[in-house]
Amino acid sequence: MRVDPILRLIVTRLSLAFVSLFAVSLIIFSSIAILPGDTAERILGRDATKQSLEALRAELHLSDPAPLRYGRWLAGVVHGDFGRSLVADRPVLPYIGAYLGRTLVLGGLALLVHIPLSIGLGLLAAAKRDGPFDIGMSIAVLIGMSVPEFVTGIFLVLWLANDLHLFPPLALIDQAQSMGSALLMLALPVMTLNFAMTAYVVRQIRSSMIDILRSDYVRMAALRGLPPSRILLAHALPNALGPAINAIALNASWLVGGIVVVEVVFNYPGLGRLLVESIRFRDVPMVQGAALVLSATYISVNLVADLLTLLINPKLRTRTA
Amino acid sequence: MSDIKKLGLSRRTLLASAAVLGGSAFLPLGEVNASTATKTLRIASGEADGVKGTLDPAYGTNDPDAARANLVFEGLVKLDENFGVQPSLATDWKTNEDGSVWTFHLRPNVKFHDGSPFTAADVIFSFRRLFDPKAPSPSAAWLAPINPDAIKASDDLTVEFNLRQPVVEFPELIAYSKIVKAGQTNEQLRTAGIGTGAFKVEHFVPGEEPSTYLRHDQYWQPGKPGVDRVELRTVPEESARIAALVSGQIDIFWDLPLRGLTRLEQDKNIVLQSAHTGFWLGITAWTDTPPFDNLKVRQALKLAVNREQLLKAVLGGRGSLGNDSPVAPWVKFGLQAPQREQDIEQAKKLLAEAGHPNGIDLELYTSASGSGLVELATAYKAQAEPAGIRIKINQAPAEDYWSNIWLKKPFIVTAWSGKSADAALARPFLSDAEWNETHWHNKEFDNYIFEARRTLDETKRGELYRKAQELVRDDGGAIVALFSDAVGATRANVKGWKLHPQKLSQSFVDVTIEG
Repeated sequence: MRVDPILRLIVTRLSLAFVSLFAVSLIIFSSIAILPGDTAERILGRDATKQSLEALRAELHLSDPAPLRYGRWLAGVVHGDFGRSLVADRPVLPYIGAYLGRTLVLGGLALLVHIPLSIGLGLLAAAKRDGPFDIGMSIAVLIGMSVPEFVTGIFLVLWLANDLHLFPPLALIDQAQSMGSALLMLALPVMTLNFAMTAYVVRQIRSSMIDILRSDYVRMAALRGLPPSRILLAHALPNALGPAINAIALNASWLVGGIVVVEVVFNYPGLGRLLVESIRFRDVPMVQGAALVLSATYISVNLVADLLTLLINPKLRTRTA
Repeated sequence: MSDIKKLGLSRRTLLASAAVLGGSAFLPLGEVNASTATKTLRIASGEADGVKGTLDPAYGTNDPDAARANLVFEGLVKLDENFGVQPSLATDWKTNEDGSVWTFHLRPNVKFHDGSPFTAADVIFSFRRLFDPKAPSPSAAWLAPINPDAIKASDDLTVEFNLRQPVVEFPELIAYSKIVKAGQTNEQLRTAGIGTGAFKVEHFVPGEEPSTYLRHDQYWQPGKPGVDRVELRTVPEESARIAALVSGQIDIFWDLPLRGLTRLEQDKNIVLQSAHTGFWLGITAWTDTPPFDNLKVRQALKLAVNREQLLKAVLGGRGSLGNDSPVAPWVKFGLQAPQREQDIEQAKKLLAEAGHPNGIDLELYTSASGSGLVELATAYKAQAEPAGIRIKINQAPAEDYWSNIWLKKPFIVTAWSGKSADAALARPFLSDAEWNETHWHNKEFDNYIFEARRTLDETKRGELYRKAQELVRDDGGAIVALFSDAVGATRANVKGWKLHPQKLSQSFVDVTIEG
């Protein structure tokens, strides 16, 4: 029986995803249980008395054995109830929705710039191989990648916001009164993120393109008299995209959970910040919820990347069949 | 639930992302705040509260909580910059002969945000709920002398507190306790509490920024407040605070870093303010544990400090020198005494007399859990070395410093927020204090404090607190090295704001915005 390879890929990945999500939740729960301190201490702070700590612990059921607490949480999740935040004393889900929403807006904008920018730069570098543009750009993107994001971010704030007054320094999008000003507020974080992300994809594209441009079919196309731009874009590029898509997928997953430093520099309340704050408060339901969303994003982004690779590369598609 | 969604991924932000595709028009900056006649004051705390924020003054634990409570609620009394008591919702007060019964006369014609009148019943409700056994307020610990069942209203505008024991500084004790309208539930008070403050809540969801407040039109101070609306948010990153001021995204910060302020000093659109505080940084040692159980060792440790140098290294010069008393000299009853100076020779001599002719080796714990704590340890290590005090610094994780190191290790860097003389002395230094971080048990000291608490005469009380401070200074295990300044700033068009030295006591009633 012949099963459509794409369907099979999706089904296998999704069933694996459930297993990994369960494993992730177990690992997270046990790691938080191992960490010193508990939510009551975090909430009440240094001035807490023993009496008020005990009262809060009882209220939050923190004294129950860990397996019981985990079981209770898991039972809730199975019924679609992700629980209440211990710290906020409110359901977890709306928070995750709101923070994830903002993360997706910023991440989406960053990707919209990232994809054309890095592919374009990679193409140009390969086309003008070893020329001054190629060398200059390679150095530039490598510097962008090696400098930590908070340095890039603060530098951009000092220069473009405080000195040149081109952009507001903080991404306080609630203050924006129009789409334009919201975009301006997100401009600096988007730039900062692109500084960090570009190098890997550019280098990926550049090296695959250089290999491909040496191949027989490209030489053939050139001999047939096709214009160089057509060879580059229509014949060579699709074959170079495969590895680049995986690199972009990696960046996309990073944008969802790993950009807490950028969120802090620009005061943008995204999912990364929620996660770090919640870990600090040992807020298990919130951490679990956020981490599950992150893992799910990671899994789906990679699934999409693999599907895309298959779709643009017929050779791979038939081989899996 | 839905209120979060409303704020979170709004149509505006969605459209914003769509607009990139459409290549939207480039709009000029500075449109915020300009278009309407509503004067909005944008203020920001430096401490992030995340999803745990609350408006309920009974359960607030952090700086944004305090800012919210100060906008919306008021206490019977309030503390001025020197911890002196000033009237607020109470106009005057008196006590009986020993300080065990306190009578407060309430301000007449005060209206809550919903228009209802403020009366004694609201005061009784507000204090009783602090002692709810199911969810006690953290403040119940230090308000323990109050018997919640013995708060009585003799009439609508007179409240009588019958205390379990005399407290001569009772008004100071209740200066942080806010009055809420009687009958509200905890959940109402968490996000939409009704008070008598100059501003009423417009919108507050814990974990979502900003929270907004509207002018209380029936506020009892005529002509106040000076702005129509307040937006409160948090900016935890220090460099971001400075950038936000420079670009005009925020109007007031009351919690700026002490260093790196050159840019703000030079900017003519910004007015910096600083204030002495009672916040002290220092080093404490367990006086019951060798080698610190020897008084001469403790004296040597105190003499090894070069406080002038510490002030520059740790606080960038924005602060003042400590004199090993936890009460700052400008706080009421603060010790006025000659400054203790560094004396390496004397320190060496004392160490030798204590049986350490070749010096001693000590392990000092510190962490980045507070600004300057690591710098203090590093600088002190270098200063103490010539006296033969060889310090090994152990930098503990900042996260758990106050739960795992503080009170659990014998020699640590510490910091205490500013308090009135009694609290500053009693909380860390009384023999049976829960936070006795120097393990100091001095009956004479305890007696001074207990006696001061029974002494209604201010001069005599001041004398007792002075003796208590001298004992801490000369015999105790704490180096009170520095008092930090508070630094805040406003945009230049913001008038009428005065930085309160206590982070938790900022008021925005008198603020106006020009232009």
